[in-house]
Amino acid sequence: MKTFEFVKAKDAGHAVALLAKHGREAKILAGGTDLLVELKSAAHAPAAVIDISRVAELKGIAVTDEGLRLGALVTHSEIIGSALIREVFPGLADAARSIGAVQTRNLATLGGNLMSCVPSMDSGPMLLALDARVTVESPGGRRRIPLNELFVGPRKTSLGPDELLVEIVIPKRHLGKPAAFQKFGLRKGQALALVNAAASFWIDRDKNSFREIRIALGAVAPTVIRAAKAEAYLEGRPITLEAMIEAGRIAATEAKPISDFRASAGYRHDLTAVLARRALESAYARAIEKAKVHA
Amino acid sequence: MDDKPKVAERERLDLADKLRRAEETLRLPAVPPREHLPVESHVLQPGQQFRVVGERVTRPDSRLHGLGLTRYIDDLSFPGMLYAKIKRAGIASARIKRIDTSAAEAMPGVMAVLTGREIPVNSFGPSYQDQPVLADEIVRHAGDGVAAVAAVTEQIAEEAAQKITVEYEPLPAVFDPLEAMREDSPRVHPPNSNIYTSKVIRRGDVEKGFAQADRIFEGRFSTQMVEHVPLEPHAAIADWDANGRLTLWVTIGRITLARADLARTLKLPMNRVRMIATIVGGNFGGKNEITQEPALALLSKKAGRPVKGVFTRSDEFISTTTRHPCIMEYKTGVARDGRILARKVRLILDGGAYCSWSETTIGKACILSCGPYRIDNILAEAFVVYTNKTMTGAMRGFGAPQVCFAYESHMDDIAKALGIDPLSIRLRNAFEEGSVSPTGQVLHSVVVKESLLKAADRFGWETRP
Amino acid sequence: MPDVTIIVNGERRSASVPPETTLLKLLRENFNLTGAKLGCDVGDCGACTVIVDDQPVNACLMLAGQADGCRVLTIEGLAKKDQLHPLQKTIEESGALQCGFCGPGVILSAKSLLDQNPDPTPQDIREALAGNLCRCTGYAKFIKAVQDAALMLRGKAPVQSRRLEASEPRHG
Repeated sequence: MKTFEFVKAKDAGHAVALLAKHGREAKILAGGTDLLVELKSAAHAPAAVIDISRVAELKGIAVTDEGLRLGALVTHSEIIGSALIREVFPGLADAARSIGAVQTRNLATLGGNLMSCVPSMDSGPMLLALDARVTVESPGGRRRIPLNELFVGPRKTSLGPDELLVEIVIPKRHLGKPAAFQKFGLRKGQALALVNAAASFWIDRDKNSFREIRIALGAVAPTVIRAAKAEAYLEGRPITLEAMIEAGRIAATEAKPISDFRASAGYRHDLTAVLARRALESAYARAIEKAKVHA
Repeated sequence: MDDKPKVAERERLDLADKLRRAEETLRLPAVPPREHLPVESHVLQPGQQFRVVGERVTRPDSRLHGLGLTRYIDDLSFPGMLYAKIKRAGIASARIKRIDTSAAEAMPGVMAVLTGREIPVNSFGPSYQDQPVLADEIVRHAGDGVAAVAAVTEQIAEEAAQKITVEYEPLPAVFDPLEAMREDSPRVHPPNSNIYTSKVIRRGDVEKGFAQADRIFEGRFSTQMVEHVPLEPHAAIADWDANGRLTLWVTIGRITLARADLARTLKLPMNRVRMIATIVGGNFGGKNEITQEPALALLSKKAGRPVKGVFTRSDEFISTTTRHPCIMEYKTGVARDGRILARKVRLILDGGAYCSWSETTIGKACILSCGPYRIDNILAEAFVVYTNKTMTGAMRGFGAPQVCFAYESHMDDIAKALGIDPLSIRLRNAFEEGSVSPTGQVLHSVVVKESLLKAADRFGWETRP
Repeated sequence: MPDVTIIVNGERRSASVPPETTLLKLLRENFNLTGAKLGCDVGDCGACTVIVDDQPVNACLMLAGQADGCRVLTIEGLAKKDQLHPLQKTIEESGALQCGFCGPGVILSAKSLLDQNPDPTPQDIREALAGNLCRCTGYAKFIKAVQDAALMLRGKAPVQSRRLEASEPRHG
């Protein structure tokens, strides 16, 4: 690696001030599992690496007035180990468990995964299917945006060079919503997703139908996307296996995967239909287990 | 009076204790002191009778492995040691017009730079010496080294390697072995044909055998290039003494061969070369020949200091040998009951840019290509072909895995077409005691059928769904 | 050059290193703790696994400055005086390591598992070792060695010559 200036940020404000000072010449170090790989193959080093890994205010998993708050520095291991998350959103733990291996999960952060902005990110689909919003801090203060507005394209976020991802919040009204995540990789561990998918919905008790259905897909478009047509098909529809299968088929038509050495576009299309359906089935099974309905 | 000896004794013990404590604080506790390492004596007494077969033995290196005390090459360092990096061509086929090392040489911390023309005999290889240590005229695959640098840190060596500029004139390249076999294909080692080794095994009369057969089956099988990925990358340290003797610490599987090859490239008598092989962190065939060692030796000579070179994982994939991709064409004539009467095999091995262990590989592949089956009429032809790709060499099996995949898949196809149980057809054809191999060797201690039956019993062949 | 201080194997050690120095390089080159290995340098193979603040991590993916002030356990710190850790004993006795290069990483990942889960299933062990690649062995003996070590840590004797039964699930 080529050398750079290494600075430890004391808090979020300090980190942002350092970003403002160095602009595009600075990189944020959270877990480092993406950054170090990048630095090792980069032709040019950044002027500065800003270490935010000790900034306490960026950690923490808690239910607040707004909903479930996850600090940007929460690691995937912490998500898996959180009794709270296993209680309210086991799908998030499933997504975290599917990432890398123990060693990477102990270092890699949720914020880092989102900011990598790779289409195959494993944390994106579940959060998108739960209407997550992210808080961003800049020298001018904090702002809140829906998660999908963070993603612009492969490795391209909407954040400016002096902005820092601070936290992720899942709205209160979604707490306990049945949700599930599915991933298919060439191996069970240390594998990128060929396709991943997440689904969430309440069950309307009277009609036994889908309510507030969300389906998110990853690795099949330049960013993580919502399968809007499949959602429209299911919203208000009685919950049956046939409906889920059809929704999967529709979701596959909304996917625009590429062919690469891991898989062909055709295979990814097929995977999308299956994984979307499995996510729906899995969420439903969770709902039945918890007998949770939206009155 | 009685107390004096006791006091003296206590003082002696106190002093000993103090010394021991002082010594312990000085000692690096991160490395367990040698006398505290668990020492269990398995030393046998002279004249003691012992039984070995059937005894449970622990590997001698297990203790060191478990403690993390096994020293691989990269764990060794010497005072003043420099780090080497090799610049790779990055282009599959080219003529080198110019190499400019001046920017690298001018960098502070760079102690030596080396190019191919400085190498006394710039060719090596376990059978044909067709591979340059560093390409000086022609680049034949993207992983070819074109220059080497030794510097005080790895980082400086890497930056220096990047600063070396090479002007290439791209040349036509060929990547497909079938294409490379054609007369009009670009030649990887002109003026020679790209077919650099071949082997033919003939027995009986295949055409007659086919004429007698009830059914004829043809199949085409192919296997891909595989990289060994030893967890420990290729690594070596070179150092000279004032008497002009070279010592090389190296992770390599065949020291005598390596020493001979290395001495040849450096035009040194072999008695001036001392090779110290360490525990190898994974070989699988990929560490059976020299790679960067001559370059490290010359860098060390130029710099007057020990030089260590460790391949990156990327180097491992593009610049070390791999398993030969194979295209295998089978034609088999069988009787109605599945007995094989004649077999014709054509093997085309993708031989990469340099020969490496291709001769041995083609030998094994060809000899084993008909499988462990009794066949009276055989024609097996095998060719290894140069392509502008990473060298293919030895990898566990040396050609056997590829042909095994082919002839067993072929056997399954035949069994299916004839409606015969896959196990039965093999038992019908398998070698027996006294069978003759395709190359005329009379086989003894043959247990093919017994093994098949035992295995089938163990995994419940009869009760399979 | 910034000063970095870590508490490695119970001892406070410091070094002045360039900022781009990884924890792996710090351990291997500055502190002569060469047990952690460089296999890929990008966190894929796990040969560099060490335990930082009770968590196994890839030392090649941490900057030395990032580890400043942390407690680090390397393979060299596992054995105490004349006592091997049960994992070191069971791995030695079962011949689970061949070339040994992956060994330190595997042992530390397994130790971390046993610290948290004293009675792991084969699947638990596989997940814990998923980040440690081995090219020599095929992993089967690691599973047994970890199970045997777990028994020893719970004060029981390992089961002799236990074979992996054909019916044992190999996939999760």
